[in-house]
Amino acid sequence: MRFHVVKRDNWPLWKRAVAYLIAVVAALLIGAVILLAIGVNPIDYYYQLFTMGTVGNRFAYKTFMNYIKEFLPLALTSVALSLAFKMKFWNIGGEGQFIMGSISATYIALTLGQTLPMWLTLIVMCVVAMLVAGLYGLLAGFLKVKFGTNETLMTLMLNYIALYLLYFIGETKASWNIFLQESSMRPVFVNFSKFVSFPSIKMGGKFELNICVILTAIIGVLIYIYLKRTKHGYEISVIGDSVGTAKYAGMKTNKIVLRTAFISAALIGLAASFKVGSAGVLSTAITDDVGWTGVIVAWLAQLNTGMIFVVSALICVLQFGSTVAATTYAQVDSSFANMLQGIILFLVLAADFFIRFRIVRVKKGE
Amino acid sequence: MDKLSVITSFVHNIVVFNIPLLYGTVGEIMVEKSGSLNLGVEGTMAVGAIFGYIFGCYANSLGVGIMVAFLAGALFGLLFAALTVSLQANQNITGLTLTTFGLGIYFFVGNSVKANGWPVMGNYSNIKDGFADIDIPLLSDIPVIGRGLFSHNMLVFLGIAIAVGVWWYLKHTTLGLKLRAIGENPAAADSVGINVKRMKYIHICVGCGIMGIGGYYMGLNMSGSFNSSCWINGYGWIAVALVIFANWSPAIAIIGTFVFGFFNTLRVSGTSIAAAFPDQFGWLAHIPTQMYQALPFIITAIVLVVMSIRNKRGSSGLPSALGQNYFREER
Repeated sequence: MRFHVVKRDNWPLWKRAVAYLIAVVAALLIGAVILLAIGVNPIDYYYQLFTMGTVGNRFAYKTFMNYIKEFLPLALTSVALSLAFKMKFWNIGGEGQFIMGSISATYIALTLGQTLPMWLTLIVMCVVAMLVAGLYGLLAGFLKVKFGTNETLMTLMLNYIALYLLYFIGETKASWNIFLQESSMRPVFVNFSKFVSFPSIKMGGKFELNICVILTAIIGVLIYIYLKRTKHGYEISVIGDSVGTAKYAGMKTNKIVLRTAFISAALIGLAASFKVGSAGVLSTAITDDVGWTGVIVAWLAQLNTGMIFVVSALICVLQFGSTVAATTYAQVDSSFANMLQGIILFLVLAADFFIRFRIVRVKKGE
Repeated sequence: MDKLSVITSFVHNIVVFNIPLLYGTVGEIMVEKSGSLNLGVEGTMAVGAIFGYIFGCYANSLGVGIMVAFLAGALFGLLFAALTVSLQANQNITGLTLTTFGLGIYFFVGNSVKANGWPVMGNYSNIKDGFADIDIPLLSDIPVIGRGLFSHNMLVFLGIAIAVGVWWYLKHTTLGLKLRAIGENPAAADSVGINVKRMKYIHICVGCGIMGIGGYYMGLNMSGSFNSSCWINGYGWIAVALVIFANWSPAIAIIGTFVFGFFNTLRVSGTSIAAAFPDQFGWLAHIPTQMYQALPFIITAIVLVVMSIRNKRGSSGLPSALGQNYFREER
């Protein structure tokens, strides 16, 4: 008996949803087995993880605000990456673009922050960060279009070049280095939160909603419309399907690739300026790995803008919750979240196969 | 004489600290030659390292450690192959997740073992002695560079041997030729009767196994001291870069390892060289360490661009089908 694999026509949405649900539940079960093996009650642990310890906690609003701080950059970065991925442009340079954005945003805050009004500084920060990050992404796009340079490998290299630039800035005491505190002997980043910071809106009680949350939501909607309802969005999806088709249809593919690579990277720069603008200080770990995690989130969400927000919210629960749960269960390392995240993605990828393909038995003699 | 010993130890360090790069690179070359881009080198090396080290210590045998490291890496390769070859999953995503997953396992297993008593390398005589330097007779007596190049632990020699072996395999055997054919054009290879799936599975697993041994080496080189930063510490990513630098040739990878290693070692020993030769190399003390760390990636980025310009004339070792899954029904 032999089998072969055939592409499947579109499965109904509910069947796909069920397939993914099974994958996630199976991943959690595997996680539970691991927890049992080291003598931890998985139900208690998962309860702690998924509630992030907020139930019955007087400071739950603080937990939630911290959670939002992690969620925003990840969601925005993932949305940005999905633009490029839709076009099959493998921008895995999110880390580097985020770093370039955060360095330039910090530079603006430090140089203009005390002279300009705050709202103007914040706008300049965002614009400059978008430009610098966008150009950094455009570099890979340009090389791809001009010489056919592999963009996956190129953006990977650019990540590390940016990372060591950030380390250089963060570890070198010198008179030119305005990023570090002059008074401190050890290299410490200047904190500018006193004069530049994204404003928060009181939401009743002690809960505050940062303006970046609202901006990110608006950008999410705009990107959704951009991809689904505009000519640009249509061009991106045609190129994603086949460059040949796009060329045949008379599209200027090079221009579209460059434009999209720039927009994708620029949005990551914006995410970076939101991040430093809220934190009020640069750090060598400013990215929090959003460039890497964002790739996984975008893919898990099938590059669907709405789903990206849902998936990044869940991934953040996983990462944030695991650090909270680690305070109760010292024997479960917070790296458990990374492991679980991996298992979930592997099983979702496997589920994806059964959604895209079906296995047909080949009868003898055929 | 003292000045010369600075050179000797410099050369020695280039080899000792950078051979793991060679393992990672040769393993990745094998994987990429089959047309698969595995971005999970870092994670694969990490699982090889942690399992190899722990089991090697428990068995008090370097051989067991190497075997387990190979197997752990190969299992990761199997996971990658199952997802990308059989289940048609995207290679970039799978590879990146393999890194997250591998580092997750590394810390999870490491911290769990540490909670019950970490095996200290010094207590396991066979591991410690097995990892000690071996002098190659005559060659290691060459003044200045002899001890630097020819007095090393057995894993250094094993790494070079694997690199030469894989180079020969890819270049001079029928199987190697078939593998390269798959990397260039899997459909064409399939049509002349090569079992594409099986070849991909085998070479991805073996390649990842080699990376695993490289990870184990890094653990041993750190004397097995487990703390908050991973033993692999970005070497997996440098290996991905080195594959490009080496133009997908294991032989050039040996040279590339020493080139990258040269900068890597300058970062550490730059000040001592500057102190020993203040007139000639005094300027070395002024170069920021981050420059050395970034150099492998800067060089590779340049190589990548130059190669893609030259590629239009077809002299690159980049497998044409790299990163694309092969779906037989779409031939």
